[in-house]
Amino acid sequence: MLREGAPFWRALSQRGTAFAVVALVSLGAFSALLLAAGKNPFAAYGDTILYIFGNAYGFSELLVRMTPLIFTALAAALPARIGLINVGGEGQLYMGAWLATAGELALQNHAAIVLLPALTVLGFVGGGLWALLPAILRALRLVNETISTLLLNYIAPLIVSYFIFGPWRSPESSSYPESPAFVDAARLPTFLHSRVHAGLIYALVCLGLYWLTLNRTHYGLEMRAIGGNAEAARRLGIPVTRYMLAIMFVAGGIAGLAGMAEASAIQGRLVAELSPGYGYAGFLVAWLAGTDAAGILAASFLFAGLGSVGDMLQITQGLPYAAINILMAGILFVVLGRRPVRGATR
Amino acid sequence: MNSALFVGVATSSIASGTSLLYATIGEIVGERAGVVNLGLEGIMLIGAATGFAATALTGDAYLGLAAAAVAGTAVNLVFAYLVVGRNANQLATGLALMFFGLGLSALIGRPFIGTLIAGLPKLHLFGHTIMGNPILDYDVVVYLAVPTAVLVWWLLFRTRWGLNLRAVGESPVAAVAAGVHPGRIQYQALCLAGLLGGIAGAHLSLAVTLTWAEGMTAGRGFIAIALVIFAKWNPLWAIAGALLFGGAESLQLELQAAGADVSPFVMNMVPYLLTLAVLIAWGWRRQAAAPAALGRNFVGVE
Amino acid sequence: MTRKELLLTAMLAALVALIAAASPLLAQQKPPLTVGAIFVGSVNDYGYNRSMKDGLDEMQRGIPGLKLLEAENVPETAESERVMEGMIQQGAKLIFATSFGHQQFAFNLAKTHPDVYFEHAGGWMMSHNFGNFFGATQAAWYPMGVAAGKMTKSNTLGFVVGVPIGYALGNVNAFEMGARSVNPKAVTRVVVTGGWSDKAKEAAAAGALIDQGADVVTMHVDSPATIIQTAENRGVSSIGFQSLTAAQLAPKHWITGLGFTWGPFMTGIAKSVIAGTFKPAFVREGLGQMMAIAPFGPGVPADVRALVNASADKVEKGFNPFTGPVTDNAGVVRIAAGQSWGGDKMGNFDWYVEGVIGKAK
Repeated sequence: MLREGAPFWRALSQRGTAFAVVALVSLGAFSALLLAAGKNPFAAYGDTILYIFGNAYGFSELLVRMTPLIFTALAAALPARIGLINVGGEGQLYMGAWLATAGELALQNHAAIVLLPALTVLGFVGGGLWALLPAILRALRLVNETISTLLLNYIAPLIVSYFIFGPWRSPESSSYPESPAFVDAARLPTFLHSRVHAGLIYALVCLGLYWLTLNRTHYGLEMRAIGGNAEAARRLGIPVTRYMLAIMFVAGGIAGLAGMAEASAIQGRLVAELSPGYGYAGFLVAWLAGTDAAGILAASFLFAGLGSVGDMLQITQGLPYAAINILMAGILFVVLGRRPVRGATR
Repeated sequence: MNSALFVGVATSSIASGTSLLYATIGEIVGERAGVVNLGLEGIMLIGAATGFAATALTGDAYLGLAAAAVAGTAVNLVFAYLVVGRNANQLATGLALMFFGLGLSALIGRPFIGTLIAGLPKLHLFGHTIMGNPILDYDVVVYLAVPTAVLVWWLLFRTRWGLNLRAVGESPVAAVAAGVHPGRIQYQALCLAGLLGGIAGAHLSLAVTLTWAEGMTAGRGFIAIALVIFAKWNPLWAIAGALLFGGAESLQLELQAAGADVSPFVMNMVPYLLTLAVLIAWGWRRQAAAPAALGRNFVGVE
Repeated sequence: MTRKELLLTAMLAALVALIAAASPLLAQQKPPLTVGAIFVGSVNDYGYNRSMKDGLDEMQRGIPGLKLLEAENVPETAESERVMEGMIQQGAKLIFATSFGHQQFAFNLAKTHPDVYFEHAGGWMMSHNFGNFFGATQAAWYPMGVAAGKMTKSNTLGFVVGVPIGYALGNVNAFEMGARSVNPKAVTRVVVTGGWSDKAKEAAAAGALIDQGADVVTMHVDSPATIIQTAENRGVSSIGFQSLTAAQLAPKHWITGLGFTWGPFMTGIAKSVIAGTFKPAFVREGLGQMMAIAPFGPGVPADVRALVNASADKVEKGFNPFTGPVTDNAGVVRIAAGQSWGGDKMGNFDWYVEGVIGKAK
């Protein structure tokens, strides 16, 4: 599809055109569906474009939605480079938030300069450990990581619920099941009176590091080798198992940062419904983007934009917000259905 | 532990496990043919919404059930086209299907939220009661659950079609050499899986809750995927698994009603932990129970 | 760029421009007030959300030309902030955040939009443009308990609780106390489902309570529909909560129920916003104002109806069931003799009264 060594802008415009075609086809089908349902989608699209680009709040909310998607996309993309499938972004996100909350409760009386880095580290470690378990199982050839990460996605929110209904139940009003509010020092700073928060910086940093590692370090080369043919890589002396464990830990850690950021910046506490499926959406973002950094940025922007369309459809057209999933899936179906790839795929 | 508790758990496990069983059996058929469908949740939701909508419109729950089966089959055929026909990545397509099902079911079900339906009638075939608790008094879908599992087992393990299907799932190349057309078999398998998945969803809306609500399957599709592994891709074991998983949910509610102190969250974790433990145990004994070519898209020998 | 790429880009740009241009054409006449409302679930739930919708509809009928923006299934997370903000962008000057968990997010927006007014249901936060309202449910459950206590034959009552918050436990307690007042042998079994709206669990929870002998079932969840239907199918009586429309779900075994009548309050608030006289207040109204008792079912005898009505009357006139001494179900005295727990403490329940079988924590 893309020639190796093609100039950057050429490649981008090729990709961009492909995306435009996909978007138009899917949008067309979706609009037809909505018209059949008696709604006026064009008004909603118009409202959305104005909202996103003509309105500071609209644009900022798009960024807010985009932030966790970048994290979870990386969490899926990184292991994919060495041939591992991580569908566990959802669970890793929750466990990152969980460990960060534990830290917040323990270190409440410290200043932000101590608290924020500590929570960041804990968020990373929480998610990382949750991904390490499936990695170990895979390395020991016991369980395929696809299914183990999937199963752990269910256990993590239950653990979070257990704690916020029990030991971490907020005493204020002794009512609603959630953790006590994070102290101000534990909240990630936001920018310009919007909800855009420092988590976005983390996400972009992670994205940058991802690109750097893969394209400019020898680790990237070795990872490419493993992704191409793990057995051959092992014979060449590359420590495949060590990479497996390390990469999964890092990937889970990145998803854990998403959880920590959502809890600290957006929710301000640990809640049961921390993620509306960011983990799965991130997996799809990574898949759509072909696991390269620029693609992840663009695709997460697109998905976040779809969310804004969904908001508008709900408020102005009375459609259930969930309907936007049809468009998202439609785009994916079109992409997935393009020219079949030669050779067996996983 | 009083006997009312025991009876209560047994009856409600059967009621809630039925939906799981159908979904699991359907997924087993698909996976035995080498295709994993992570979008089962979406299929079930479409089945639930379509079934409810059709019942609300026609007043006939059996018609609703049929509509759900057709809808599930149709949507799974879209999945089949992408995965088998266009060789798309199974996991990504499955997840996309899940989102699709979430959205489409919300759209279909919306006008009917709050409509009162009579639901699938209970067939008083046995009609006994134990301690005032109607035992074995269910709708037709429940009664046919175990027979369906046995039928699918027989199809998979005692017919030529089933043999071919399993061959495709183990080694598509060998299947082709034996004169089998893998693509065609996979389409057929996914048709059956879609039908069963649609029924599984419809049972929830037409019998268990008699309502429709967005996302009402609440992860049951994914539980079914885990159950497939738990059942070692065998429909007969799936019966036990569905009862176990359905029972875990019922058990904690019944225990609460009886006054016991049990955390609903810990109880809900048990099925997943159990599945994981079982998987580790098998891995330890190096039993390869999964179809060898599961997840790989077969492209062709030319 | 190749010609094909140029063409496609131009097409996309044209489409965007067309859409953007089209939307102002769809703008409408300016209404006296635009009100936004968010619901945690669907309004067709015969329950909480239905009652809110009915109240809003009444408000809309009372103020001609009023524009109402609604969003259903808005989760109690940061997502709600986005939705409410969207409504404000569409011109809403009054926002009803109808579910408990929307409180923080509505409050955040109240800070950034000082010219928009907010009313939240069920919380406690207040500011110059943020008010709080709810029904004083706890005392109103007492007459429900009276009805249940008289109608039960097995002396076992069942209560399904969604989320064990203090206010819900208070409802259970008042219910049991009402039942005990007419039937000293009545006990209430409690099952917690863990969420305000999980239909499958609610059906199973109701079933479990009936298995354990309950012949009157009631609930504090968002929608009473599933529980009432389950009870009706098993021939068990039910008492409804949240919306007065729930009675139609149980034609044979309905006893009575509690419902909210938000309409007059909402109309008043909307009028005050239009007139510029909005005053933030912590409003808790009970029977006779924001709450009403549903009509009795066909199987309820006249003497029971009289008792229930008399009890409701007492509550309306200020009777507070939480007057000491009150003992919890572990034998500990929680409210001392001579003391009573007022409206401000209704969120503080983390115990059940004597006669309730269940764990509060």
